[in-house]
Amino acid sequence: MDSVANPVGIRLTGMDVKFHHRVKGEVYAARDVNITVAPGELLTLLGPSGCGKTTSLRVIAGFQKPSAGTVHIGDRDVTNVLANDRDIGFVFQNYALFPHLNVFENVAYGLRVRSQPQAVLEASVGDILRMVGLAGYERQMPHQLSGGEQQRVALARAIVVKPRVLLFDEPLSNLDAKLRVSMRGEIQSLQKRLGITTVYVTHDQEEAMAISDRIVVMNQGRVVQVGTAGELYRSPASIFVAGFIGRTNLLPAVIRGAAGGRLTLDIVGTAHTLDGAQTDLGSGSKVQCVMRPETIGLTPESAPGTVPGIVRSRTYLGEKTEYTVEVSRQQLFVVQFGADAERFAPGAAIGVALPVSGVQVLSGDQS
Amino acid sequence: MAEAETRPGRVGLAAMLPRDPALAAAILVIWALLALFVIYPLAALLMRAFVADGTFSLEPLLQVLAQRQHRVALVNSLILGALVGVIGTTLGFLVAFTVSRAELGKGWVRLIDIATLLPLISPPFTTSIAFVFSFGPRGLITHDLLGLKAANVYGLYSTLAAESLTYFPIAYLALRPVLSAIGTNLEDMAFSLGSSRWRVFRTVTLPLCVPGLANSFLLLFAASLADFATPLVLAGNAFPVLPTEAYLQITGMFDLKGGAVLSFVLLVPAVLVFLAQRQWVARGHYVTISGKAGPQSAGQGLSPSARWLLIAASVLLGLFIVYLYALLLYASVVVAFGANHALTLGHYKVVFTDGLKAIKDTLIIAFIGMPLGGLFGVLVGYLVARGEFAGRRAMEMASMANYALPGTIVGIAYLIAFNDPPIELAGTALIIIACYIFRYSPTGIRTTVALLQQIDKSIEEASLSLGARSFTTFRRITLPLVMPAFFAGLGVVFIRSMTAISATIFLVSIGWSLITVRILENMTELSLGPAAAFSVFVIVIVMAVTSLIGLLLERMKASLGDTSLSGMAAG
Repeated sequence: MDSVANPVGIRLTGMDVKFHHRVKGEVYAARDVNITVAPGELLTLLGPSGCGKTTSLRVIAGFQKPSAGTVHIGDRDVTNVLANDRDIGFVFQNYALFPHLNVFENVAYGLRVRSQPQAVLEASVGDILRMVGLAGYERQMPHQLSGGEQQRVALARAIVVKPRVLLFDEPLSNLDAKLRVSMRGEIQSLQKRLGITTVYVTHDQEEAMAISDRIVVMNQGRVVQVGTAGELYRSPASIFVAGFIGRTNLLPAVIRGAAGGRLTLDIVGTAHTLDGAQTDLGSGSKVQCVMRPETIGLTPESAPGTVPGIVRSRTYLGEKTEYTVEVSRQQLFVVQFGADAERFAPGAAIGVALPVSGVQVLSGDQS
Repeated sequence: MAEAETRPGRVGLAAMLPRDPALAAAILVIWALLALFVIYPLAALLMRAFVADGTFSLEPLLQVLAQRQHRVALVNSLILGALVGVIGTTLGFLVAFTVSRAELGKGWVRLIDIATLLPLISPPFTTSIAFVFSFGPRGLITHDLLGLKAANVYGLYSTLAAESLTYFPIAYLALRPVLSAIGTNLEDMAFSLGSSRWRVFRTVTLPLCVPGLANSFLLLFAASLADFATPLVLAGNAFPVLPTEAYLQITGMFDLKGGAVLSFVLLVPAVLVFLAQRQWVARGHYVTISGKAGPQSAGQGLSPSARWLLIAASVLLGLFIVYLYALLLYASVVVAFGANHALTLGHYKVVFTDGLKAIKDTLIIAFIGMPLGGLFGVLVGYLVARGEFAGRRAMEMASMANYALPGTIVGIAYLIAFNDPPIELAGTALIIIACYIFRYSPTGIRTTVALLQQIDKSIEEASLSLGARSFTTFRRITLPLVMPAFFAGLGVVFIRSMTAISATIFLVSIGWSLITVRILENMTELSLGPAAAFSVFVIVIVMAVTSLIGLLLERMKASLGDTSLSGMAAG
C-alpha cells in the first residue's frame, strides 16, 4: 500500500462537550479544547481517565457532537458531518470486530460499503493482511483469534480504506505488556510509512512518549500542555504535567534572588543556585522545583556542594538502582546508573548533589 | 443512561430527532404505527366509554358498577387473579427449586420441561377441555373412577385449578434463572456456619427469591385477569368474571359501549399491576452482589427426605399435565368421550373439511404476521436500546401497552377504532394481523434490547467510521447480530397467532376466521371431539414450527459464540 498523497491536518477549535447529569447538573467532558494536528503527524492525547481525551477523539470521529466549537479535517468544516462521511479510520479499544464476519469480510467491509469491484477488493485486502502479518487468516472468525491478532485485524480494517485521518482509542490497553511494546512499534512504523495524519489516545505516558511526534496533555476536560516528549519532560508547564510525564521530585523552595540568569533559592534547608532557570517571580516567592530522579547525584559522604542525606530504601533493577533518600525531612526519589549504582545501603549517611541546571521552577500554588 | 446530550441550534421536531435521516425516518414510522395501532384504539375505547354527545361523563362507569352482576364479576376477577398468582407461583417455585437443587435425573428434567412447555404453546381451551374430560359429568375420574353422578366441574375451583396449571410455567420460567443465579455457594456458606437446612432455606434462599416471587405473582395475576377462555368454559353462571362479562355484553347484547366500560374496569387493575411490576420488581435484583462466580457445588441444602418429597411432587405435577394432554389426544380419536369409546378419525376429518377454512385463514395470518412482528420487535428494540431521541421511554411504554393490557380490552378497542371510517379495517385479515403484531412483538423487543446490551456500541460505530450509512450499518451489522432476537420474537408471534383468542374473538368475521374461534364454537355446541382434534392439531403445528426455530437459534448461537437467550415460550 502506498503512502497517502496529500495528508491533511485536523483542527479542533473552541470545542466544548457538555452533558446534563441528573445529580451534578451541567458537566463538561471537554472545555474550550483547541488542538491542531499537522498533516502526516502522529499526535497523542494523553491524560488520566476522565480528562476528555477520548471525548475529543470521538468528536473528531463524529461519534460525539460537540456542544460548541468546530472540527476541521483539511479545509473542510466537518462539525455537522456524520461519521460515515468524514473519511476516517478508527481503531477501538475493544477492537469492535464484527463478530459474525470472518477476517476477510471484516477487513473488506469498508471497501464493500464503497462499492469496490470484487477484484480490487480482494487485492487490497490481501495486501493489507500481508502487511499486518495475517496472510492465511482470511477464513478465521474473530473469536478464534488472539488479542494481538484481533488488534491487527482492527488496524487492517481501518487502514484498508485509505482514510485521510487515522484515530486510535487506547488500542493497546487490552494487550499484555510485551505485546503492547511490539505493537506500538508496528503502529508507529506503519503510520510513518503511510503518512496518514493520526490522533492517538492513551493514558500510558510511556506509550505516548514512544510513538508520538507531539503530545497533548489533558486534564479535567482541558488541554494543559502541548509539546514533544522531550519538551514535556524537560519543561513541564505545571505540576500536573511534571507529575504525569515521567517520575519526578517536586521540592518546595523559596526564591532568594535572581541575577544574570542565575537563580538562588532556599531548598531542603540550604541555599542552592540554579543556572538558566526561568521565572518571573520575585524574592520571597514560594515555588516548586521539578527535579528528575536521574539528575540528582549521590556521594559516599558529605562533600562540598552536597547536602547530607540518609538512604531509606534501595531497589536494585539491573541496569539501574532506585533509592529513596531523606534530606531535611523530605523524601527524594533518585535513580543511579552504572556499575557501582547499588553501593549505598539503607541507613547509610550520604551526600546528595542537587542539579544546578535543567530544573523547572513552577510557582507554588499552581496545579 | 444518566446523561443526555444537549444539542444547541436546532429547534422543534428536528431537535428531537437524530441527525441521521434513516434513523429519523424509522422513528417517525414507528411512532406513526404505534399511534395508529396502540394509542388511537385505546383513545377510541375511552372516548366510546366516557364521551357522549361531545361531553365527558363518568355516568356510564357508575351505571355499570351499580349492577350487582358486574360488581361481583370485578371482585371475582380479582379473587381469581390473586389465587392464581399465589398457587401458580407456588407451583412454579416448587418445580424450579426441584430442578435447580434436587439433582434430578435427566429423564425427569425432560418430563418437567415438556410438561411446563405444553401449556405455554397450547390453545387457551386445552386445559379446560381436558378438565371437562377428566372431572366433568362423564369425566374419567369423577364418573368412571369415583362413580359420581352428575359431578359439577364448573365454578371457582376448576377455573382456579385450570388457570394455575396453564400459567404456572410462566412462574417456573421466571424463577428458575433466579434460583440458579443465587447459586448453591451462598447456601453452602450459611450451612457451613451451622444453620439447619430449613433455616438456610428460610433465611437465605427464600429472601433472595422475594423479588422473583413478587414478579411472578404479578405476571400470573395479570395473566389470570386477562384470561377469557378458561372462565368461558369452566366458570359457569355461578362465577362470572370481567373478561367474559365484557364479551357477552358485546356478542350477546350488541352493547359496544357497555363492553367498553366493562373493559375499562378491567383496565384499572391491569395498569396497576403493570406499573407495580415495572416500579419495584424489575428494579430489585439482589443476586449480582455475591461477587465472582465460582464453581458451584452440587449443594447440600436438601435433606434426602425433603429431596424425595420435592421430586415426587414435581413429577406428579408433570405427570398430571401429561395425563391431561393424553386425555385430550384420546378424546380426539374416539367417537364420543364418556359415551362411545370406539376409535375413529372422524373428528380429524371434520377438522380438515369443515375446519379447513379456519386452518387456512389462521396459517395465512400467522405466516404474514410472523416476519412482520419479528421485524417490528427488532426495530423497536434497536431504537429503544440504541437511539438517542426525545420520547424514547415513551416509545418503549407505548410498544408494551397492548401486551400488558388484557386481550379483551385490546380486542374491544380495535373493534371500536376500526369499525367505521376513517380507518375501516373490520372484517379484514389486516386487523387481526395488526392486533397480533402489536400485541405479541414485545418479547422480540425485550430480547433485542437484552442482546444489544451485550453488544458493544463500538461495533456499530466501527461500521459508521468505515463509511457505512446508519441503514447499511443496521442491515449488515446490527440485524445479523440480533437475528436470534428476531427469530425468538417471530416465534412468539407465530405461537400466539395460532393460539390466542381473547383479543381476536372480537375481530374475526365471515371472511376471516381462526382455529381458536372454531374450538370455542365446538365447545359451545358441545362437540368436544372436534374441539379436542383442533387443539391437538394446533399443538402439533406449533411444536413443529417452534422446534424448527429452536434448531435455528441453536445453530446461530454456535456460530456467534455464546449469547444467552431467554426462552422463546416465555412470551
